[in-house]
Amino acid sequence: MWKVLSGVVLGWSLGANDSANIFGTGVTTGTVKYRTAILLTAAFVLLGSLIEGPKCIKTLGEISLLQPLDAFVCALATAITMGFLTFFALPASTSQAIVGAIVGAGILSGSADFSKLYKIVSCWVLAPIGGVIIAFVLHKSLGYLLDKTVTSIKHRNLVYTIGFLAAGSYGAYSLGGNNVANVTGVYVGAGVLSADMAALIGGLSIASGALTYSKKVMMTVGKGIAPLDPFSGLIAVIAGALTLHIFTQIGVPVSSSQAIVGAVVGVGIVGDVRTVNHKMLARITLGWLSTPICAGALTYFFVLLVT
Amino acid sequence: MFLKKIFDYGKKEERVIENFKKHLELLCNACDSFHRAMEENDKNLVREVVDSEREGDSVRREIIASIYAGAFLPYLRPDLCRFAEIVDRVFDSLQQTAFNYLEVKLPEHIRDECVRVAFLNARMCEMLSISFDAMLNGEDLREKALAIRIYEKKIDDIKHGVVRDLRQIPVDDFWQGRILADFVSGLTSISDTMEDAGDHLQILSVSMKS
Repeated sequence: MWKVLSGVVLGWSLGANDSANIFGTGVTTGTVKYRTAILLTAAFVLLGSLIEGPKCIKTLGEISLLQPLDAFVCALATAITMGFLTFFALPASTSQAIVGAIVGAGILSGSADFSKLYKIVSCWVLAPIGGVIIAFVLHKSLGYLLDKTVTSIKHRNLVYTIGFLAAGSYGAYSLGGNNVANVTGVYVGAGVLSADMAALIGGLSIASGALTYSKKVMMTVGKGIAPLDPFSGLIAVIAGALTLHIFTQIGVPVSSSQAIVGAVVGVGIVGDVRTVNHKMLARITLGWLSTPICAGALTYFFVLLVT
Repeated sequence: MFLKKIFDYGKKEERVIENFKKHLELLCNACDSFHRAMEENDKNLVREVVDSEREGDSVRREIIASIYAGAFLPYLRPDLCRFAEIVDRVFDSLQQTAFNYLEVKLPEHIRDECVRVAFLNARMCEMLSISFDAMLNGEDLREKALAIRIYEKKIDDIKHGVVRDLRQIPVDDFWQGRILADFVSGLTSISDTMEDAGDHLQILSVSMKS
């Protein structure tokens, strides 16, 4: 059972980092209190993990046949890769890192099934694009609807305040449902945990990260998104959450950060604002390449070392 | 506790809105009193302007305190506070002009024009109040903003004529001349600040749209 520890650490770091994508805007603008934000995040991440988590867990188990020790090494290598890339400020995604790690371990054992990777990699590319499209459509349609129905400043204020809480809770639910597979999915493939137990342990570890260490990242990330007006901020959170939820139904864990970046770009396109530049696209592409390669290489090296 | 917060939601905002309305109502009363003071040449009415300004000050403080205590989205708070401060600047200008009116010896040939400016200021203030209500209901403010700008333009035109006439007036005493110049300048600048307030209402209105 101790082999699950590396996954728990990974889940804790994911919770500490990715909670910012959900409530960052709400907390930094003072619309939602930090305590309310982390309590809602923890509760809904757990709920999402338990209800939707097994869908993505299954996909990760199909990439390679892992031994229990390999599963431990995969999660450990992913945690180290995430820490390393974050230290050098490279956009890293846990979803990409864990897939790289599983493939690395699979190459060594000769069990890696590359045919499964097409679906996963295409989903990685489609996640930010989905965020852009969903945000654009939602901004146009909900904007029209809101302008027609909720005109009073007082009522609109109420809509935005409740909207931030509801959208954040939905975002946390989607994050738990989609990303719990990254944390404990490897243990299901290795036969250490059942899918439901993996969802519970993963959900709890992500929730603990949100509860204990998310403030700093939330403030940093939130301030980057804060210049958006309340409606655009709200749409960005809903679109990011919806993107994650859609990919959960497909059964592929994707990056929540990239989904929300896509959503912010989509909102920017509506307002004719330049929210994307080539430098940012290059950094995301670099992240797509560097994260799985780093995690894969590290896992390969660790498994060699251990066995 | 959480449910209570949800059911109580909107009371703080309601209080701020009521205070904003009261603030503007006081300003309209002050403008009206000043207009009557000039029209009826009744300097006692200046006291009403001073009283309204004092009450307006306390209402403004209440508005800002309620906003900082958590009324409205943080995104809106700076703009709402700024609006209250612009209205306060109008009060200050009006009060200073009213004080100058107590001291000034207004030449008869510019009196009518000055009364007209005071009248237009009062109408402009009513329009500002109407714009505020429209902003609260999410209505289009373009026409109201245009009306405010037209009032301001009229006052500007009168100002040029009055300043031209002022130059012909012989000044025997420095302070008499200074107070007269300050009075005319203050009276005609009230509309500029009111126009700023109207522009700010438009910013508020646009910032809440999707």
